[in-house]
Parts: sequence; structure tokens; C-alpha cells
Amino acid sequence: MKKIFGLLAIVALSLAAKPAVAHHALQAEFDTAKRGEFTGTLTKFAMINPHVRWFFDEKKADGSVVKWEITGAGPQALRQNGMTRIFQVGQTLKVSFAPARDGSNTGRVVTFTFPDGRTITMYHEDPNNPNDL
Amino acid sequence: MHQFNRFAIAAAVAAAMSFVSLHAQQNAQPQNVPTPRTADGHPDLSGMWGGGFGGGGGVKPDEKGNLVQLTRGRPCSKQQFDLGNCAPGINFERDSGVTQRMGPEIPMYKPEFWEKVQDYDRNGTQYDPEFHCKPSGVPRMGAPSKIVQTPTELIFLYAQGNVFRVIPIDGRPHDPIKSQDTTWYGDAVGKWDGDTMVIDIVGFNDESWIEWPGWFHSNNMHVIEKLTRTGNTLKWEAIVEDPDVLMAPFHVEGRTLRLNLNAKATLTEDLPCEERDSQHMVTHERG
Repeated sequence: MKKIFGLLAIVALSLAAKPAVAHHALQAEFDTAKRGEFTGTLTKFAMINPHVRWFFDEKKADGSVVKWEITGAGPQALRQNGMTRIFQVGQTLKVSFAPARDGSNTGRVVTFTFPDGRTITMYHEDPNNPNDL
Repeated sequence: MHQFNRFAIAAAVAAAMSFVSLHAQQNAQPQNVPTPRTADGHPDLSGMWGGGFGGGGGVKPDEKGNLVQLTRGRPCSKQQFDLGNCAPGINFERDSGVTQRMGPEIPMYKPEFWEKVQDYDRNGTQYDPEFHCKPSGVPRMGAPSKIVQTPTELIFLYAQGNVFRVIPIDGRPHDPIKSQDTTWYGDAVGKWDGDTMVIDIVGFNDESWIEWPGWFHSNNMHVIEKLTRTGNTLKWEAIVEDPDVLMAPFHVEGRTLRLNLNAKATLTEDLPCEERDSQHMVTHERG
């Protein structure tokens, strides 16, 4: 029985899917143990590989505007659910993200919160575990 | 030891997940299906092969429209977390990269390239052609997502990058002009060896990588791709010969794909690629 399970395990390993799309080393770019947050106006939604991009303007109290570039994983879930168009330029969204290590205004999205309270979480693994990457 | 535990856990979880997936798929598919053959008696490789691309497949929004898309399974179960007997997946991505580098099959480079090998390993995020939106090329692109077979040609379609390859199987030799070209997919000709399709490919550039850990090659690379259909599975494998840089032929890890039995399944257009990350990479090694 042990032999059979061992054989099955080997077969299972040999059939394990390899990542089809090369993705960037997120840890090299973002500090996934930290979280940032802002509320901004979506100025552009770019459906591009290797990662989808959202561009935001965050208006500060003093009237200045901070520009953000947020990246996520592939858009497959949005596309497969016919949800690609839920992101519209001009929307005001709350963005939770893993901040850039180089201090730039870029981030890896964890969750978008829409004005009606709906949330879209697009993360790598467990968004509630800051050590989980 | 701590690191080893983490690798062991990751490997065990990967094996368990694969086993569950395999088991579920085996239940869903009839067993001992005869290998379909074309009128000329050869196996028919036609069909959609393998699963979806890009992760997140099958995720549905809840009744309020909230969507949670997690692109990779967590390295430990919730129970393991709750019991405190899981090393949390800190650096899981990088750790899994290290384990893949330690696999038994790695290309053996000539000594004069060892410095370059190390440089490419340490600076993968800066050099990787895929990161810069270049094609994966053969053999890194792996098995096709869809095959159309005619008596004289194999047409390979790839979901990633909307790529196609047309491979003559009518017995012709390499094209004398195209085989001198330097391209990402090379000049390919195929022939049957029993029930295995053997594809001979030359005419490559030296920009693509054999695989993701920085495994470069020269423009004299010669690739032999083999595809074998057994029932509703397709085995894909490749052998890389490159006497300019390698000391011995390198066998790319083979993959076995399942036929997609959904008659309505189609390939989805892939999105264009735009590189915007390199300038923000604080560390350079792939992981």
C-alpha cells in the first residue's frame, strides 16, 4: 500500500502544473509584510500582461494630487466572470496594498473597496496573513 | 533545518494538491480510452490540452458581487495554521524558486560560462526576456494549448501570447533559408517515430531562455520536441543540444497534459505585455 501511495505521489508530482505565465518576483518589488491604504480616483485601468495596472489620483487635504500605480495578478477571474468592466475611470475606490520597497508610489493590490461597499480582493495567497507570500 | 522543513512542507502540499486534483480529474474522465487515430493510422494529437492559464480560474463572486481571487494556494492548511505547526509562507515564492533550482535536471554549462550562469541566476529579474515582454520561445513555452493535425502539418496554438507554430510533417528537410534565421521558435520539421511525434528544431536566436532560472543558450541550439498521445493524455518533452555552451544534452522536465473534454472550450485572447516593474526591483534574483 505504501508503495502504491508512493507511486501515486510521484505521478502526482510529475503532473503538477508549472506556472504558465512568468510573473515578477513580487518580493523584490513590494514589502508584502506591510500594508498601505489610500482613497483615490481611478484615472486608467490597463488590461496588460504580465500584471494588470490601475492608476489613481489621490487628492490630499492641501489640494495636492498624489499619483499611484497599483499592480495586481492576472485578470483571469475578472475576465471569466464578465467583470472586466467593473473598473471605470472616474470611480473613487479605497485601495489596500503592499507598498513598494523603493519608496515609489506603486503598490501590489490587496483589496479594492467600491463606493457601494463591494470589495474585490486580488492577492497572491492569504490577504489576512501579512506573512503569507 | 527550518528552511528544510519549509521546503518539505511546500513539496508535500504541492504533491497533495496535485494528487487531489489528479484524483478528481480521473474520476471525471473515462479510463482506458483508446488513442484516437487519423486515416493514415497515426495518433491524432488534435484537441485542447491542459488546464486554464493565469490562475484564478473557477473563482466566482458571492451574492453581493464581492470577489476574492487568490492566485496561488496557501502553503499550509487553515488547520495547520490554527494548530501552530505550519511555518508560515514567508518568502514562499523565493523558497520555491530555490527548491526548483535544486532539481536533479539542470543544464551543465561549459566552465567558461560559469560566471555568466551565476550572473544570470543573481540578476534574473533584470535579464529575463519574459519580464521584458519578449516571447518565451522554444522550449520554455512548453506544450501547446491546442493542436490541429492534418496529414501534412501540425498547427500548435498557445494561449500565452497568442502564439502559433506550423510544423510540416510531410517528410521535408529543414528549410535552408529559415534554418539560418535567428528566431524565438526556430525552424521545425516533424516526423513520426512509432506513435511519438518527434519535432526537430533549429534556427534559434540566443535571446530566449531554456527555462526560467536564467538558462541561456547559443544560436546554435538544437531542440528535439517529443509528443506522445496515450488515450486522453498527451506527454510533452524536449531535449536541448547546444555544444557551444552545454557539456551535454539537457532534458527539459516533461509534462503530461489532459485532453479538455469540453466541446465548447476555446482559447481566449491573451493581453498585450508592457514592462513596468524592472525599475522598481530592489533585489534582482528570481524567486
